[in-house]
Amino acid sequence: MVQLGRVLRAVPGRARVVIRLAMRGCTNRPMLLLVAAHNWRARDGPFLEQLGCCDPMPNSHGEKVVGINMERLRHWLGTGACVSRPAEKLLGLAGFFPLHPMTITGAERLRKARAAEAARASEASAGPKEDAEE
Amino acid sequence: MHFRFRGGGRGNGGAQLRSAAASAMLPALRRCWAALRPGPFPGAVLVPARGRKTRDDPPAKSKAGRIKVPPPVDPAELLVVQERYSQYYRVLRALRSEFRVEAGKKKRELLQEQEQQVTTDIQESLLAWNDTENERQWRRREERLRREEEELKKKKLQGAISQAKLVEDFMKQKEKEVLRLQEEAQTFITPENLDERIKQCLDNPQNYNFAIDKKQRIVRRTTLS
Repeated sequence: MVQLGRVLRAVPGRARVVIRLAMRGCTNRPMLLLVAAHNWRARDGPFLEQLGCCDPMPNSHGEKVVGINMERLRHWLGTGACVSRPAEKLLGLAGFFPLHPMTITGAERLRKARAAEAARASEASAGPKEDAEE
Repeated sequence: MHFRFRGGGRGNGGAQLRSAAASAMLPALRRCWAALRPGPFPGAVLVPARGRKTRDDPPAKSKAGRIKVPPPVDPAELLVVQERYSQYYRVLRALRSEFRVEAGKKKRELLQEQEQQVTTDIQESLLAWNDTENERQWRRREERLRREEEELKKKKLQGAISQAKLVEDFMKQKEKEVLRLQEEAQTFITPENLDERIKQCLDNPQNYNFAIDKKQRIVRRTTLS
């Protein structure tokens, strides 16, 4: 006697295509692939199409090399694919999308933090000098 | 044991959760629920989250009064960030609509091309079939014309032969007649041998009288001879 529960389908009913980063590579050598995959698939699992790659480790010139297939990316976005946040940020930095708000905000915060750090450092160095002068 | 916030509404969600916890969870956890307090902002409800410990392990004594607080938010920065986000999503929506139009156009063009390809294939195949059929019919026609020509030639030849034969037969017949007449002409009475023939006739009287009866008995001797 089989109890009928949820219907088992090859593709779930709420399936979506997502453009996201999949991590490949091996230990101590990561490699990111920009892929179009179903949202219910594993991060590193089978995907529909590879749209680009990103090397998170800087090369000999200190560059992090990224390659993107713009044509196919436009096709997938035209067919209604979602984009994950890191992929959005990457595409913003690449110039395909506008810059992500959090990229700008993060940069501003970093700049403020560095400015505050520099101010504190200068205050700290100015303080002992005044004490020494006095 | 870690506690995490869940926005359960102004106490309604929290009440539901508490009632569910009271009925379903074990006595070890009821003690944690007993220490439930409203969180730092309205609607905050403490919900236990699982980590290394199982549901049977009691929370550590050091974590008994712990309240997890979300990170502080600068309201000015928040406004700026919200404005940036709205602008960002506006741009993204515009881009997406453009890409959608492009993709639709490409798909339609592809379908049209495929249809055209199908029609051209059909057309080509039909033309090829037509050509082969035409060739076949031409060959048959050629064959038929050739055969007819041959037959006509043969007939003509036969006709000529039969005509020649007819003419020959006629000539032969006429020659025979001429010869016969020539032979007969030797017995004709001419002015030259008139006297001779009269003399002959007078010298050899012929009696052409005869009698015949129904039984086909012929009598030549008559009263006159």
